[in-house]
Amino acid sequence: MSLPVTTQSIKPYTGEKARLVRAYDYLILVLALFLFIGSFHLHFALTVGDWDFWVDWKDRQWWPLVTPLMGITFPAAVQAVLWDKFRLPLGATLCVTALLIGTWITRIFAYHYWNFFPVNMVLPATMLPGALVLDAMLMLSNSLTITAIAGGSAFALLFYPSNWPIFALFHQPVEYANAQLTLADLFGFQYIRTGMPEYLRIIERGTLRTYGQYAAPLAAFCSALLCTLMYALWWYIGKWFATTRYLSKI
Amino acid sequence: MATTSEPMPAVTHIGKRLPWYLQDLPRYLKTFGALTVLYTSLRLYQGAFAVSAGLDSTEPAFEQYWMRLFYIELAVIAVVMTGLWAYLWFTRDRQLDKLSPKEEIRRYFTLTMWISIYTFAVYWAGSYFAEQDNSWHQVAIRDTPFTANHIIEFYFNFPLYVILGGCAWLYARTRLPLYAKGISLPLTLAVFGPFMILVSVGFNEWGHTFWFREEFFAAPIHWGFVIGVWFALGVGGILLQGVTRLIDLLDQIEDAD
Repeated sequence: MSLPVTTQSIKPYTGEKARLVRAYDYLILVLALFLFIGSFHLHFALTVGDWDFWVDWKDRQWWPLVTPLMGITFPAAVQAVLWDKFRLPLGATLCVTALLIGTWITRIFAYHYWNFFPVNMVLPATMLPGALVLDAMLMLSNSLTITAIAGGSAFALLFYPSNWPIFALFHQPVEYANAQLTLADLFGFQYIRTGMPEYLRIIERGTLRTYGQYAAPLAAFCSALLCTLMYALWWYIGKWFATTRYLSKI
Repeated sequence: MATTSEPMPAVTHIGKRLPWYLQDLPRYLKTFGALTVLYTSLRLYQGAFAVSAGLDSTEPAFEQYWMRLFYIELAVIAVVMTGLWAYLWFTRDRQLDKLSPKEEIRRYFTLTMWISIYTFAVYWAGSYFAEQDNSWHQVAIRDTPFTANHIIEFYFNFPLYVILGGCAWLYARTRLPLYAKGISLPLTLAVFGPFMILVSVGFNEWGHTFWFREEFFAAPIHWGFVIGVWFALGVGGILLQGVTRLIDLLDQIEDAD
């Protein structure tokens, strides 16, 4: 039932019509900001969750795999609309920025000021470098296939190195009760979490330590493969939700 | 749906400062302000009484400070829902076939404001108070589904955004011709999908009867919320419907300086 756009409409608006369209843009901007903070943050918190909440969950095996994999979903879906319909190459950056705003507000006011967790213990990870590359890749290639393969891989591969400057200091070794821990582990033991005891922590499982320094790159490349597939899947999910259909009944 | 009989006066008054298409902007901004005050007040209440009276649900103080708030919330939600939805329905436009292009454009702006208010409520429910749930349940033993954060998040924030989403849906259905002739699929998805998040509280709390002390946030008992929030992506379709119609309507009116 949607109406076709006439060629007459493609001329730039002037005067009152231009002001009207600009006002509509600003309304949409405010709407989109809170929409993506609210929806992407809820999706992210309930799928990545503790790997992003706690410094001692940011390991070499699961964190670089799960975070980009769940983080590429909304960016792909939003790019499918903003690039395909409006030629705006900012879907991924918009989503990731909105997510960062939401997580930072929560970490400060819900974790630190309410329950006194140190901010260093609950720092959110960033996916901004990957999101910028993902948007640039789509803009330059105008191709779902190239963006899924090259952009999706870059989104995953850039995650660990771009977060390393933020979190490397917490991986310093310390000796504690005759055992070697990281500073991050120590945070976890010092600040008791009643709902998330040590046996629930999903980090560095199996015989990972025999792989030494290769564990993080392996997780990143595994994530790159999965992000490629996830990107394409969510592009189509985004397109499906952005339907303009009207129904006769529900 | 009835679209005939009593006429609804079209807005013809042009404000001194605001252009005709932004007539509802002051109400929109006031609602934003009121919601900000409301959510901030609830957070301050948590800061004041969660530790002193919200750690043990068997204490009399819990009943006084938290269950009483819960009952007040239920009453407020019932009144707000009935009032807003009834107002939107009973003041519906019954002569949509006589709507002028300018008035229809103005109503598209107002619909966008309604959806914006809805997404603002989704922010507080889906972002701030949702993740705060994790923070609180790491310092308190959850011995009840009515914890100090759940009473705000599940039983107030969730119903409130459902009400506001319902308002956007009703506004479109009762005041805009295309939405009255057919049921917009993306608008319906964007309102009814997140509504299912409220329903998922049952699944989530049922799961926590097995692991009441544990709060692993990426656990499958939380994925009902996740699937519900994906439907918010329907807003992309609402935007496309709105933009397409606005282009058509703008072609029907004369430009002004």
